[in-house]
Amino acid sequence: MSEAVILDQGVKVVQPAAVGQSLQAMAWRQLWRKRTALVGIGIIVVLVLTAILADVLAPYEPTATGSGVPMSLPNWQHPLGTDMLGRDMLSRVIYGSRVALFVGVLSLILPICAGIPLGVISGFYGGFLDNVIMRLMDIMLAFPIFLLAIVVMVILEPSTTNVVIALGIVRIPIYARIVRGSVLSIKALTYIEAAKALAVRDPRLLWEHILPNCMAPIIVTSTLSVGTSIIAEASLSFLGLGTQPPTPSWGWDLKAGLMILEINPWICLFPGLAIFLTVLAFNLFGDGLRDALDPRLKM
Amino acid sequence: MREYLLRRLLLLIPTLLGVTFIVFLMMHFIPGDPVTNMMGETYSAEDAQKLRHELGLDQPMVVQYGKWLVLLLRGDWGRSILSNRPVLADILYRLPVSLELLILSMVVSLIIAFPAGIIAAVWPNSWKDYSAMLVAMAGVSIPEFFLGVLLFLIFALTLRWFPVAGHINLLDNPGENLRHMLLPTIALGLPRAALLTRLVRASLLEVLRLEYVTTARAKGLSDWVVILRHALKNALIPTVTVIGLQVGFLIGAAIVVETLFAMPGIGSFGVDAIIKRDYPQVQAFVLVGALVFVLANLSVDLLYSVIDPRIQYGKEGT
Repeated sequence: MSEAVILDQGVKVVQPAAVGQSLQAMAWRQLWRKRTALVGIGIIVVLVLTAILADVLAPYEPTATGSGVPMSLPNWQHPLGTDMLGRDMLSRVIYGSRVALFVGVLSLILPICAGIPLGVISGFYGGFLDNVIMRLMDIMLAFPIFLLAIVVMVILEPSTTNVVIALGIVRIPIYARIVRGSVLSIKALTYIEAAKALAVRDPRLLWEHILPNCMAPIIVTSTLSVGTSIIAEASLSFLGLGTQPPTPSWGWDLKAGLMILEINPWICLFPGLAIFLTVLAFNLFGDGLRDALDPRLKM
Repeated sequence: MREYLLRRLLLLIPTLLGVTFIVFLMMHFIPGDPVTNMMGETYSAEDAQKLRHELGLDQPMVVQYGKWLVLLLRGDWGRSILSNRPVLADILYRLPVSLELLILSMVVSLIIAFPAGIIAAVWPNSWKDYSAMLVAMAGVSIPEFFLGVLLFLIFALTLRWFPVAGHINLLDNPGENLRHMLLPTIALGLPRAALLTRLVRASLLEVLRLEYVTTARAKGLSDWVVILRHALKNALIPTVTVIGLQVGFLIGAAIVVETLFAMPGIGSFGVDAIIKRDYPQVQAFVLVGALVFVLANLSVDLLYSVIDPRIQYGKEGT
């Protein structure tokens, strides 16, 4: 990638990297300069710490009914109030971060493990195999993603782990498509031709020369996917098809709060805000990463 | 062009057949049974078998699918297993509600996205750009149902400007209909508007760097003529593509919004049917959903050639 390509909206030209600086180091420096991305990283760090330290941070058991007067407004004992069963909302929101992060991060495993290989095979070998794989992916893409997730959830029975599987399955075609595109364009470059001329075998060629150069769009897509997965988990739980009670999930708590919205309007606000902030953080981070890793993808 | 359109429309038939057949198979392989759902806690195996026979659920799957298809073509979409109401009547009642929601929210998102995106692109790195992008970032991060709850809380529960729930037929009372539709429409449209704003800005920035734009400016055309008549047209192509792709997301998100606002749309109808294994209802839902999705994408493809005359269908190599 030539330095000239790295333009910031055609106005500011980024300083050329020092001689010998790796692309990764350059990307990190770029990311470090972007304040919005740093805000995103900050929120993510807080979120991860909250999830890890939930046992210490939460003042009450998140599933303990009657830890306060049901449906109470925010007060000193319960800073975010209580739900209709008298469970402490602050504790539930804190523990909800575990479900959100669990789904957000683990739902990337399936697309990475299945989507990337499929895309690599499709793009590298082409021909019949490419046709079969891509048509299959097209069929999957033809279904609206959320509907497909709903159908998978019904087949698998609603649970948090199954949300991870459902969201993983529906993402496979997206990853396969992205990787296939990258492989196709990289395959045509001269350095690959050179490697082939040196009799580098296919597996090594793919692993060492092609795959590392496909990673930028995958890393960006994955970061942004964490946010959409969290929204999807919350939406599925909202419909009753995701995380099942009494496990604290932001989506489910929001739905449950709807019933007592007139008595305690705060009840929906906090789980909703938690979802919003988390998704915002991953979007800010993902946006920054995209600008840093691949300026051509800039939006 | 006409030939192309005809070919695309004919291609719809195998697509719809394929989608409905796959769903048909899937629904039957899913654990769970409408008969046991219907009969409640206590029933004899004999009664269940009888009911299954009455409903035709004991026949081979291909036969069941064939029967469904033949009846479908005759205008008989079957009856809901659970409510025993004719499915077609329910669909015809609910489809306009969902279509109105989808179209209005698309309109809302376009009305917001274009001006905001253009302003952000024309003054890049200005306070206008930053504030538009900040709002857009917030917009893409907020889930529809949370936005819906916020709107509901502020405008329906607290200010009482809008009704809390329900739906009024568009033809019966257009004004009241709009009052009922507005909050769900905004809940569904705003996140889409945010996404499109970012896209319009990005594609317009890309186009504004091109030489033909410089030429147009050098000719002495005013800034707004250059932007609106010359640049925007080319920037529209990626935007329209994403609008087409968004239809799928929109259908998904509409389900949640319809559930939240208790609207008698087709989304809540479908999810309910899937959960309760009401096969005829699921089939109808999938058929209509797929049809809307495919037709929306077809319109997007046709729109390309309107926006960019270089794109022509029906010629060699297209």
